[in-house]
Amino acid sequence: MAAPGGAAMNSLWWLALPTLLLPVWWHRKKRVQVAAEPLASARFLPRTEPRQMRVWRWADVILMILRCLLLACLIAWLADPVLPWRGHTVVVAEGSDARWAEQQVQAAGFKDAARLSLPAAEALAWVRSHEREWKPDARLLVLGDIPMPAELPQFRHPLELRTLAKPAAPVEVHVAIVGARTGEWRRLFSALDGPLRAVIDDTPGAKTALIVWDKPEAPPASLRAPLWWIADAAAFPALATAPAVDGIRYADSPHGRLWTSSAWPPADAAAARRLLETWRSLHAAPLPYTAPSHTFAASKTPASTHADGALRGILMWALIALFALERTVTHARRR
Amino acid sequence: MASISSALIAHTTNLDLVIRHVLAGLGQGIHAGRERGSGVEFSEYRAYAPGDEWRRVDWKLLARADRYYVREAERDSHVALWLVLDASASMMEPSRSIPGLDKLAYARTLLACVAAIAQRQGDAFGLVVLSGGRVQFTPAARGPRQLQRVLARLNAAQAEGALPDAAALKSGLRFAQSPSLVFAASDFLDFPSPLSEALLRLRHMRHDVRLACIQTEAECTGGFDADSAYRDPEREGGVFRFGADLREGYLRNREQHFSAVSAACRAGDIPLVNARIEQAPGEVLRQWLRQAGRR
Repeated sequence: MAAPGGAAMNSLWWLALPTLLLPVWWHRKKRVQVAAEPLASARFLPRTEPRQMRVWRWADVILMILRCLLLACLIAWLADPVLPWRGHTVVVAEGSDARWAEQQVQAAGFKDAARLSLPAAEALAWVRSHEREWKPDARLLVLGDIPMPAELPQFRHPLELRTLAKPAAPVEVHVAIVGARTGEWRRLFSALDGPLRAVIDDTPGAKTALIVWDKPEAPPASLRAPLWWIADAAAFPALATAPAVDGIRYADSPHGRLWTSSAWPPADAAAARRLLETWRSLHAAPLPYTAPSHTFAASKTPASTHADGALRGILMWALIALFALERTVTHARRR
Repeated sequence: MASISSALIAHTTNLDLVIRHVLAGLGQGIHAGRERGSGVEFSEYRAYAPGDEWRRVDWKLLARADRYYVREAERDSHVALWLVLDASASMMEPSRSIPGLDKLAYARTLLACVAAIAQRQGDAFGLVVLSGGRVQFTPAARGPRQLQRVLARLNAAQAEGALPDAAALKSGLRFAQSPSLVFAASDFLDFPSPLSEALLRLRHMRHDVRLACIQTEAECTGGFDADSAYRDPEREGGVFRFGADLREGYLRNREQHFSAVSAACRAGDIPLVNARIEQAPGEVLRQWLRQAGRR
């Protein structure tokens, strides 16, 4: 994505358009020597200086047009223009329920509108940054499980947002429990509700996100995981002096981040839920909050200057073709 | 028909056709016929060639041999004709009023007509073409084949380069010792020149030399376009301009030059015909040939 400053600089390239005058200037022959035709009895005439006539005449019109086009193409490539080409559009977030989306499209009267599929999290921001691509009279309908933006967005086109909260997809987290009190720890993780699911492994692996170390021995030096829950802190002297928050001491070690608490494994349901909640809030991504349905009226916010180079590919091909043609014609003219 | 226009010359490269048109209006004969022709003194048969008169074909021999033969008679004309064509670059000068016509085409036509007349009269004739600094020499001979040969040489002549120098002319114009007629067509813009000296020398050797000075109407009256620049086709460098202000000077210079030419011819007893290429070739030809009878 180009920075707004960069995009603004891009449009400054249009100021280079007067360079088109250069080929025009070059291709106008100013002086043409008067062609001397043979005259047998010229010897009876006085000799004169060769005369040059000031004649404005086009020379090689095709070549001139090619060169002008080449320059114009180059400037357009640099300026990276955005053409308004999109009409009424339905933006459907990826993974939306197709039947529900169809119903909403019918209800909102967007039957003939073009469909556009975007990731739900970026849909509104994408629409905002690409708004110059829509024609002035276009309307938009955004469907799906769109997360709520931090502040109310403003659009230059009327936009209707219809959302349907989707049950969050379960996320699996691999947990390895090493030690004696395996059963208690398993119970703790089976109490986990919500989209986060713990998969209990007996031995730590590459995918393991959490190792519950319930052993007095120290773990092998090669064993690493993002998070360790240490039930017996005897093997980890660093934890003895570690700061504590809410009864949990924490420290960073070569193995990963270590948590420990003297009250582990939790004895009651409330303590277990607190531990799990703490874990989820610190180590799992927050769940997005689905925005409520809303109708945005067209506002007069300035257009974003973002241009993602939609035309650059075409312009580049045109540039190459024109360059080849120009070289060919120049060569042919010299022969 | 006598005044066949010069436009015909511009329109056809077929010299035969032009000759026929020109000669049709011209009447017969250059000089008193020393009769050759059919059957005074039979000498030999020879194969028929296009251009032979049908009445000279031996029909009995045709019946016997199934071939056309022509009876050749002994000829007693000893006059040889020499046609001299100046094909230097200046002869390329076109007529400014008749498109497609230039001095070379006109000179070529005149010489072709003379050749045709000579052939009809049974005279031997040869051709000398001066072009590109070289002398192209066709030896004198009689008969229709010779006419075709000479016409082909005339047709092939291209106006280019300058006139040959004195040495080349001296070796090229080594004519027979017998009295001959020399018809020279040139524009005589170079005068005196190796060519003029060679012609005068021939005259001193008692050959009958006749000159045709080929000019264009525009050259005589100074009727050139004032807008374009000009260069001399035979001389290096320099651009020339023509305009109303220069016309008088041009005519004066030209008059001066050609009066010198005429004076030299008169002094050398050489008849000179001034021919404008826009003139009908028949008239010019008659004038050119008539002068011979005067003497």
